[in-house]
Amino acid sequence: MEFDVTGARIFLRIPTGIPVLGDFMITETLVITWLVMLIITGLCIFLTRNLKVENISKRQAVAEMIVEAANNLVRSNTGGTKFDRLIPFVAALFASSVVMNLISLIGLRSPTADLSTEAGWAIVVFIMITAEKIKAGGVLGYLKGFTQPIPVMTPFNILSELATPVSMACRHFGNILSGVVINGLIYAALAVASSALLGLIPGAVGEFLSHIPILDVGLPAVLSVYFDWFSGVMQAFIFTMLTIMYIANAADG
Amino acid sequence: MGTQPLVTLVPWTLIAQILNLFIQMYLIKRFLFKPINEILQKRRELADKEIRDARDARAEADGLKEQYETGLAQARAEAAQIVQGAQKEAERKAEETVRDAQKQAAAIRARAEADIAQERKKAINEVKDEIGGLAMDIAGKVVEKEITESDHRRLIDEFIQKVGEAS
Repeated sequence: MEFDVTGARIFLRIPTGIPVLGDFMITETLVITWLVMLIITGLCIFLTRNLKVENISKRQAVAEMIVEAANNLVRSNTGGTKFDRLIPFVAALFASSVVMNLISLIGLRSPTADLSTEAGWAIVVFIMITAEKIKAGGVLGYLKGFTQPIPVMTPFNILSELATPVSMACRHFGNILSGVVINGLIYAALAVASSALLGLIPGAVGEFLSHIPILDVGLPAVLSVYFDWFSGVMQAFIFTMLTIMYIANAADG
Repeated sequence: MGTQPLVTLVPWTLIAQILNLFIQMYLIKRFLFKPINEILQKRRELADKEIRDARDARAEADGLKEQYETGLAQARAEAAQIVQGAQKEAERKAEETVRDAQKQAAAIRARAEADIAQERKKAINEVKDEIGGLAMDIAGKVVEKEITESDHRRLIDEFIQKVGEAS
């Protein structure tokens, strides 16, 4: 029995000839990302059909609840309404993250199990943080911030600044990847176990039954409550919260 | 169809994912936040309008009440005035009636008195004439001596005068 965990499958490789960026690859990550986007957008359209001012449907109540929750999350964490323009971004980040994490439940490979996804997000967040800092203190103020409290600290400050996006990306990626790896291991191990167990039955019946990984039914679902559900929602929430916090802190100076 | 390494950074995938995130942001904004925020805004406006309307209605009701009360007070005052006027008028009329009646009674009495006086005069005149005639006849018969008609009349008048004074 062999078991290995690989990265996303590559469906199509488009050579671009650009030296650093390399080939453009249509991978499982991208295809499933598009699927996730379709799901989220479709859900948004479904929820906001037939909007009414009075006597609202359950669907509209859910949509309003989501919007209010997003508004409250950003407003309560940034103190006021000056970051209202961030709300759709934060909502998109959270929704993408949650759906991408949970899509592994239907057997697809999470796009968040590819470091490129989280790295992209983290870079966007890093740029936003930096932009807020420059907006708050000017370019000189921003650069001077690195020499605080004493100039000797400059390298460490730069390191800590860069560590922000790296840690955000790796934290999310690591959690999801660990879920993928552990789930893979469990499935494989249980398949081996059931094969060994059913192989004890003598004759052709045992031979046939040992190919059916009967133990894979049930037990992994229990574990997936933690590795997929809890971890998936938790990481999405952490990523989103950190985004809001970092940007709000940057604006405070 | 190959696979990527488990942990790797593919620049194009990274760029595509950034773009995907922004597209997703636009889609969520366009299809969730915009319509819902519009609806929430509309509801808020509706609630505000309702409160404003209620306040307006109350102010109007207060105004109406005040107007009504003023009107009522005015009407009451007017009614009182009318009653007073009517009372005065009635009194005046009663007085007038009494006065009229008195005047009328006085007039009637005066006329009656005048009538009586006239009747008496008339009766006296008649009696005067009759007695005159009678006296003439008697005188003609008794006194053979003829006297003039005018002397005669004067004598009779004197006689009657005496009779009138005596009666």
